[in-house]
Amino acid sequence: MKTIQVTINGELYQETVPIRMLLVDFIRERCGLTGTHVACTYEGVCGACTVQLDGEAIKSCMLLAVQADGHRITTVEGLANGSDLTPLQTAFKAHHGLQCGFCTPGILMNMTEFLEKNPEPTDDEIRYGLIGNLCRCTGYVHIVDAVRAASKVAKQGGQDGG
Amino acid sequence: MYPAVIEEYVRPTTVEDAVDVLGRYPGGEAIFLAGGQSVMQAIKSRMMRPRCVIDLQDISSLKGIAVNADGIRLGAMVRYVDIVRCAELPPAYAALRDAAQHVGDRQVRNRGTIGGSCCWNYLASCLPATVLALGGTMMLLRQDGHRREMAVDDFLIGPLETARGDDEILTAIHFKAATRTGSAYQKWGLLKDALPVVGVCVKVSLDGDGRCIAARISLSGLAAGAQRAPGGEIVLVGSAGETGIIEKAFAMIAEQVDAQSDQWANSAYRQQLIRTLGREVATRAFGRARGES
Ligand SMILES: Cc1cc2nc3c(=O)[nH]c(=O)nc-3n(C[C@H](O)[C@H](O)[C@H](O)COP(=O)(O)OP(=O)(O)OC[C@H]3O[C@@H](n4cnc5c(N)ncnc54)[C@H](O)[C@@H]3O)c2cc1C
Ligand code: FES
Ligand code: FES
Repeated sequence: MKTIQVTINGELYQETVPIRMLLVDFIRERCGLTGTHVACTYEGVCGACTVQLDGEAIKSCMLLAVQADGHRITTVEGLANGSDLTPLQTAFKAHHGLQCGFCTPGILMNMTEFLEKNPEPTDDEIRYGLIGNLCRCTGYVHIVDAVRAASKVAKQGGQDGG
Repeated sequence: MYPAVIEEYVRPTTVEDAVDVLGRYPGGEAIFLAGGQSVMQAIKSRMMRPRCVIDLQDISSLKGIAVNADGIRLGAMVRYVDIVRCAELPPAYAALRDAAQHVGDRQVRNRGTIGGSCCWNYLASCLPATVLALGGTMMLLRQDGHRREMAVDDFLIGPLETARGDDEILTAIHFKAATRTGSAYQKWGLLKDALPVVGVCVKVSLDGDGRCIAARISLSGLAAGAQRAPGGEIVLVGSAGETGIIEKAFAMIAEQVDAQSDQWANSAYRQQLIRTLGREVATRAFGRARGES
């Protein structure tokens, strides 16, 4: 067992956890933030468990919770400000970027960082950025549409807001 | 897939402390954790049941890419994403970016490290073969403080096997500066950016007239692990990168290698991949050596 301190969505969690506990289970079971999903029994291939560690997208089933000690995590619950959705979330809604929605939290966490790094991506770059996230419903077309729309919205938002 | 019980987790801040902890456990019972993108799979499947995990994330001396007149040094904890973002990689080492840019996916590239990949030495991997063609020097530190340097050719033994001692840590990988030199890497997998069914890396150095004076070729994805292809290297030397000669070199390599048949590709398909990828990669390496891109 080890006592760790992890800041998730701005809130500090201090917990004593078994060393073998995976970060995704810490987030879901200890912190009750069940927006982060597990779709591939922790094999590291589906991306449903994607969260941000210090602002970078990572698969939370590929880390031990103890590795996140002292770090900052953002989960899908940390994106919206109350009921104010982010431009990417709004675009997913507008463009039907989700059907069952199981893959969506992981995709949002990956693509949010992706758009920060590459605010005006080509469609090829969006698809390339999505490789680590499996979606069994949409066929990705609407997801790509949503990410593209968010990239423009983000730009307009930037201009409007000065 | 869930880890067995782990007794101890440590996060040293120096390499000396890291190897010290290693020494407190019998061989193999304490393991280093770098990006975890391979070893966590092994731990979760219980192929590995470490008693102690030594997390390298806080050791600053293992991080960073330094480029200077003598060459470049990549700390063992340099991540794929760090390589992709490094704007000053000379053309001689451009293959590092080719390889790192297409490892797995964004999430894997945000975590996985060059040191972890080389120490794991999985047969279907990108960085071991790339470091091999580039002729890197592996810097190792032993628990008793002894430091040694080893040519990558001696370091990579075979799939999941390296010459690193149980009591050693890989601290960095060095590459000597080289003029009129270019390199390139490319792989083919079943999906975009998937593990290589075959990967090819080429490095060539040219004289003032654009003739090749030294060549190194490596292959990944073959059952024997990352390996050089000396027969093809000899063919490239003396050439100016003419397509006919490059094709001859890779036809010979495809003929000579032991290309396995498995669920991903049969032997004839792997040989074809070696010919096709080889032509593209060698052509790009010659172009880079001439300063074209
Ligand atoms: C979905 C997915 C896709 C992938 N696709 C690819 C791909 O296309 N191409 C590819 O090449 N790889 C791929 N990989 C594997 C990936 O590249 C791994 O990151 C890499 O093999 C291991 O690096 P790591 O830093 O994660 O090391 P870890 O997994 O942390 O460690 C690997 C091994 O090296 C040891 N080790 C680590 N650092 C040191 C050190 N400094 N000194 C001594 N020993 C050390 C560890 O103890 C362990 O035994 C993929 C992985 C996943 C999960
Ligand atoms: S649960 Fe599938 S990648 Fe983590
Ligand atoms: S919306 Fe169902 S898996 Fe993506």
